[in-house]
Amino acid sequence: MTRINKQKPGKIVKPGEDFEPWESHNPVPLPVIWIAVALGIWGTALLLQEQDSKVVAQAEREAGEAAAHDAAEGGAALFLANCSTCHQPNGAGVRLAVPPLQDSEFAKAGPGVVAQILLRGIDGPIRVKGFTYDGHMPSFAEALDDAEVAQLASYVGARFGGGETVLAPAEVAQLRMTHSGSGSWQGGAELASLVADLPPQPPMPATAEAGLDPAISDLIFAGKGDVWSCASCHGGLGQGAENTPRLAGLSQGYITKQLHDFRQGERHNEHMSFVAKGLDDAEIDGLAAYYAGLRVDSTAQPALGGDLARGEQIALQGDWGLGVPACFSCHGPSGFGVGAEFPALAAQQPAYVASQLAAWAGGHRNNSPLGLMDRISEALPEADRRAVSDYLASLPAVPAPEPQAMARIEGGEDEL
Amino acid sequence: MPITMGLLLALSFVVSLLALAFLIWAIATRQFALDRAHAATVFGKGGADGPDTDGTHLFDTTGIDKVSARPVRLLILGAIFWLVLGSVFGVIASLKLHWPDWLNMAAPLTFGRMRALHLNLVAYGWLSQIGIACMFWILPRIFRTPLRAPHLPVIGFWLWNIAVTLGALAFARGWTDGEEWLEFPWQLDMLLVLAGVFFVVPLVKTARAREVDHIYVTGWYYLAAMVWFPALFFIANLPGIHYGVEEATVNWWFAHNVLGLWLTPLGVGAAYYFIPKIIGKPIYSYSLSLIGFWGLALFYSQVGIHHLIGGPVPTWVVTLSVVHSVMMFIPVIAVAINQHVTVARNLWAFKESLPLRFISFGAVMYTLASFQGSIEALRSVNSITHFTHYTVGHAHLGAYAFVSIVMFGAAYHIMPRMMGREFAHPGLIRLHFWLVVLGFAIYFFALTIGGTLQGLAMLDATRSFAESVILTKPYLEARSVGGTMMTLGHILFAINILGILRKPRAVAQSAVAAE
Repeated sequence: MTRINKQKPGKIVKPGEDFEPWESHNPVPLPVIWIAVALGIWGTALLLQEQDSKVVAQAEREAGEAAAHDAAEGGAALFLANCSTCHQPNGAGVRLAVPPLQDSEFAKAGPGVVAQILLRGIDGPIRVKGFTYDGHMPSFAEALDDAEVAQLASYVGARFGGGETVLAPAEVAQLRMTHSGSGSWQGGAELASLVADLPPQPPMPATAEAGLDPAISDLIFAGKGDVWSCASCHGGLGQGAENTPRLAGLSQGYITKQLHDFRQGERHNEHMSFVAKGLDDAEIDGLAAYYAGLRVDSTAQPALGGDLARGEQIALQGDWGLGVPACFSCHGPSGFGVGAEFPALAAQQPAYVASQLAAWAGGHRNNSPLGLMDRISEALPEADRRAVSDYLASLPAVPAPEPQAMARIEGGEDEL
Repeated sequence: MPITMGLLLALSFVVSLLALAFLIWAIATRQFALDRAHAATVFGKGGADGPDTDGTHLFDTTGIDKVSARPVRLLILGAIFWLVLGSVFGVIASLKLHWPDWLNMAAPLTFGRMRALHLNLVAYGWLSQIGIACMFWILPRIFRTPLRAPHLPVIGFWLWNIAVTLGALAFARGWTDGEEWLEFPWQLDMLLVLAGVFFVVPLVKTARAREVDHIYVTGWYYLAAMVWFPALFFIANLPGIHYGVEEATVNWWFAHNVLGLWLTPLGVGAAYYFIPKIIGKPIYSYSLSLIGFWGLALFYSQVGIHHLIGGPVPTWVVTLSVVHSVMMFIPVIAVAINQHVTVARNLWAFKESLPLRFISFGAVMYTLASFQGSIEALRSVNSITHFTHYTVGHAHLGAYAFVSIVMFGAAYHIMPRMMGREFAHPGLIRLHFWLVVLGFAIYFFALTIGGTLQGLAMLDATRSFAESVILTKPYLEARSVGGTMMTLGHILFAINILGILRKPRAVAQSAVAAE
């Protein structure tokens, strides 16, 4: 090498064609070995961590199950966990939306009746303490075991009905047998067979399908001209999926307003703008009425990896550090929805809710009254937007308010 | 502690690392009766004490090159044809990303087909053929014996090129197997496999007839590639075996291994040969060569699944792949020391030799591409860069800046020796070098910056998806500029190679000064 370096420029002697490469025997530099060892340790640790994360997840799940089991020891805890978001912690219910438990005819009828309602749920109009509600209560047959149903029913009967009967798990098991496969109670009319001295109950309305205008039905299930059918994206029951919202049970006014906004370019979505431009006012009203009247179980579940506890906190209390009010303060208890301006949030598809929050935050959706949602969404960090979306998806589907009740509210005639 | 996948994985990982370390130690310290003595002696003659200053002529002194010349010449010409055509398709595909309505009158001209054409023509038409050409040139030389059965690779050449031509027609008509990197319909895959047999048989025969016991490191890479690639190709292309998630897993296992266990051995093998060959010095360390080779063999095969981070495959498969991707630092550092130290100690040769300029630039790009790849495989980085143009920039850093540019240098080194004359216009070679290097720099930095911004925009839910697309436009335009410069460089490359094939009008000068 030295010889070559001493050559004058232009006179460098190139290696011969006979030269074929070979390897000299320098040792491996120590840093290479250190790097190799360090990477080996890192790799092993990462693979082991894979195992840790599973162990931790397992432990957390078991701890969670154990905690849930422990909590189930008290009827009060069961009530808080399963009933209070709708019926309220004091059992007062929500005016025009959720029947009260306090002093209700059904609570007074004793824990046996309460247990049977818990096991089957309710789907139909029901009159409680002089007011009619569009009852839509989920069944707890799968969620709670016999002992839990017994405890909960006894607790509700004692606290809100003033009775002293205590239900035994064996009795619940028998009731479960009797009612297995019967479906939801068809409103107060069917429950009247269970409870003596019940005031007159409203009759079950004809199903939504029967009263559906064939033109609207075509729009929903077959589309019209270039406009594809609603059901092709929102599902046959308006249940939504992923980024397509659940429509079932949204208020008629809200759906109407959104379709008008899409049509007039005040809300932006390539698909919906196109669809809405193909609809006239009567069709919009018909569709809105149809979806507002649909009662469909929730198909949403938390899917965004959000922190449910944090989501619950935002929904119930807000975060005043961020200047974010509780969702439920406007959208109603349990996210029922209030009027045309505040849509139902419970059981809404989480990807849709998160995408709408993101759209408000990014200025892509701006048809919220007074710009309320714009400001709230901007204040929420991305993780919070996912958390609250997932929490809302975990709530049971909300009953659509009874049409007459809506009319009464809007007409200012209140029975109270 | 319960026995879980993670524990089993970690244990088997440690065991395989220890086995690897033991293997390398054992070979390096001659624990089994191999042939280290030959390593020092056979190649020592004429090399150990400096370059042989007598043999500066370009003519083949051994008669070995004469035998390999025909298949090598054919393969280089075929490779250049597909390189030029494949780059044109690449430029068209690139332009379509910012001129979406351009050339949209017929289905074969649409982006999806142009891209498939570009990928497969440069991968199978250009890189594979030029790499095989280097095999046919280098292996007989390091085995010190003429190529056996030299007519077979000529048949292989025609079969291979017929398969690539039919493949190109198939892609243009929209007939593919439907997976990236596996576009060739399996019927044509059989033709490629058959062609491969015609390439492998003569090389194995030559290896068996070798005049030396010790195989130089280039030979390890080449012989291994001849086993790895057919195995990969066969398993991944066998129709009707893999479905669903498993199909995706096999798809990316193959697609990434094509780079690591086929193109990388071709490129690293060539660099390992040509760098010391041109400089006239041995490479730095035999032990490092062992680490580089066996490290690649152990770690690379699991690397591909990092393409499925976030996908519906078991987490442990992805984690294993991430770990293996990062472990690639070890063999890459070993190769880097071996190659770059040799060049850095002989910078005079870098200035003197144009082929070396290409080859050692390419070798440095191997180091950078591999480092980048290891980091890109980490979940935290991957969540930004995945599904963006960043990945395209990385792919070209490996397949283009490394393998292709090494191959340019290899061709420029081989052709004068094959033809017995120098290039008439070295200036055109210099122009080729600067066109592809500057063109690539524009290409790479544009896509890396644009891709990162794109990834960040996609992660930000408050920004619409369209925004993440629109913001890439200036970077895509820059990419087209860089790609066009590279393509112009390829046309110059073709002119240079065709130029030296033509007999010069003046009397041929046998020995000229500047290479």
